[in-house]
Amino acid sequence: MSVSELKERHAVATETVNNLRDRLRQRRIQLLDTDVAKYSLAQGRSPVKFGATDLVCCRTLLGHTGKVYSLDWTPERNRIVSASQDGRLIVWNALTSQKTHAIKLPCAWVMTCAFSPNGQTVACGGLDSVCSIFSLSSTADKDGTVPVSRILSGHRGYVSCCQYVPNEDTHLITSSGDQTCVLWDVTTGLKTSVFGGEFQSGHTADVLSVSISGSNPNWFVSGSCDTTACLWDTRAASRAVRTFHGHQGDVNTVKFFPDGYRFGTGSDDGTCRLYDLRTGHQLQVYQAHGDGGGKLPVTSIAFSASGRLLFAGYANNSTCYVWDTLLGEVVLDLGELQDSHKNRISCLGMSADGSALCTGSWDSNLKIWAFGGHRRVT
Amino acid sequence: MASTSGSVGAEVTGETCSSLAKSSLPPPRPKSPPEYPDLYGKRREAARVQMLEREIGYLEAKIKFIEGVQPASRCCKEVSDFVVANSDPLIPAQRKSRRHCRFWKWLCSCVPCLSLASFCCCCQSECSCHLRKPKCCNCTGCNCAGSKCCDGSCCSNICCCPKPSCPSCSCFRGCCCWCPDLSCCIPTCFRSCSRPSCLNKKSSCCSCNCKIRWSSCFKCPKVRLCCCFCNCKNLCSNPYCLAF
Repeated sequence: MSVSELKERHAVATETVNNLRDRLRQRRIQLLDTDVAKYSLAQGRSPVKFGATDLVCCRTLLGHTGKVYSLDWTPERNRIVSASQDGRLIVWNALTSQKTHAIKLPCAWVMTCAFSPNGQTVACGGLDSVCSIFSLSSTADKDGTVPVSRILSGHRGYVSCCQYVPNEDTHLITSSGDQTCVLWDVTTGLKTSVFGGEFQSGHTADVLSVSISGSNPNWFVSGSCDTTACLWDTRAASRAVRTFHGHQGDVNTVKFFPDGYRFGTGSDDGTCRLYDLRTGHQLQVYQAHGDGGGKLPVTSIAFSASGRLLFAGYANNSTCYVWDTLLGEVVLDLGELQDSHKNRISCLGMSADGSALCTGSWDSNLKIWAFGGHRRVT
Repeated sequence: MASTSGSVGAEVTGETCSSLAKSSLPPPRPKSPPEYPDLYGKRREAARVQMLEREIGYLEAKIKFIEGVQPASRCCKEVSDFVVANSDPLIPAQRKSRRHCRFWKWLCSCVPCLSLASFCCCCQSECSCHLRKPKCCNCTGCNCAGSKCCDGSCCSNICCCPKPSCPSCSCFRGCCCWCPDLSCCIPTCFRSCSRPSCLNKKSSCCSCNCKIRWSSCFKCPKVRLCCCFCNCKNLCSNPYCLAF
């Protein structure tokens, strides 16, 4: 076939691709007959109302000397690990505020941390492009240095997020600035699967966040600077199962909805969105209306146990909106409560039983929020 | 004959030269190279077509899939039903059944400083809890002499005092952290860079006056991280670096 014939085929194929994409877009618009807020209003749902002391800061975890970038709860035992600009991981007892471990990292430029399901190891990653594993049973020297148990190396860009596969202490997933996610075998330190990286198989820009489904650990979602989120099946790494469009800025954070069939996103475009995994529908947009037209980047999100509340941290001083996910309204701002953070909230995490929310901030503190109001029992 | 021939020869030569000069032979020019087939361009074009045809296959599969997909309203119903069916410890609501006062059980357990004298805690049959701001407790168990034991807003048993063995240690916000190990204080400027030009988060990436020499420069991450390098040759040129 000559070059000119190939060019003609190229033009025809391009037109076909554009037509198919248009058909797909039109069909999706037809199927979007409502959103969660309109549906709930039509059902007569009452909004969530918080009193002045219903959600309170009941713990402030002091100890970091730099911005807190990431935190994670253990599945049990109420411990938290946090990573900070000061180059340390600190493990906290959330009930007593005591620090059980303060690990000095070989590379201070840490961006993410995670607890293993059994609570015995922690993982972290950052600008060194590796994910380091530390055993909490190892003895620290007088400087707080704990030997690294395993280094997961292979990414060609920074490690932006890491999470252990639920109920599997030997596998974790990382996201990276090299546009890929990787499933690792912690025991061997080797990659089990690489998600993306090849043209048109996944993200086309830095991947910033991952979230693994609690109900089906073979599924995970990732958020990227290419403004999309992707659904992946760890059993078929060749191509993303589904790509979710809608955002107009970097997708900084993704989190699964408690039912495991939906997930939330937070973006630089100032919105949070709720997507349905199986259909690909965008079910709801959560956009704040205020100064700046609601364009404050969303840094982190977390769902409450029932999914009724969506906590979203924004890139300004201490704003953390609590959204009523069903009605699409802001019902509270943690930044306006007593003892709130003094700077941007960079990370959020809900405890395993849903009774407490932990926030980490650029003010170097972590805070734990819980329900402090009345429950009338009839 | 020589002269004749010479002259004749000369005449002949002259005539020959002039006839040559007047001939229509083109001036010598270098030839263009032969046209080789542009294999690289052809293969590249073929690869592009192949990718597009693969994309067509994926899009056709997606269109086929979406034909059988339920409308968004059914997904919204599933969301709503799930939320309503599941309890939420963080939501103020009237409950018809007795529930554990999880917050108080969680908060009151194993915390020596939070005694019933400070809170009206209830974890038993009735959950009518009243939160009032606790006063600073008497830190009798604090090992720090001559220093505040309470952080002012909440009772805690964190001792706010510099460790005696760290005379040069400066405490963060006047309070040194409590550590289970011996190293209590983090010396000032440890691993931190003085970055006076990084105060404005929209400023261009800056280099750090860092006391610690890094062995290699990190690749500049995209967008949101301030690329501060210590003694590094390659400065990041991303103008939208946020302070890291």
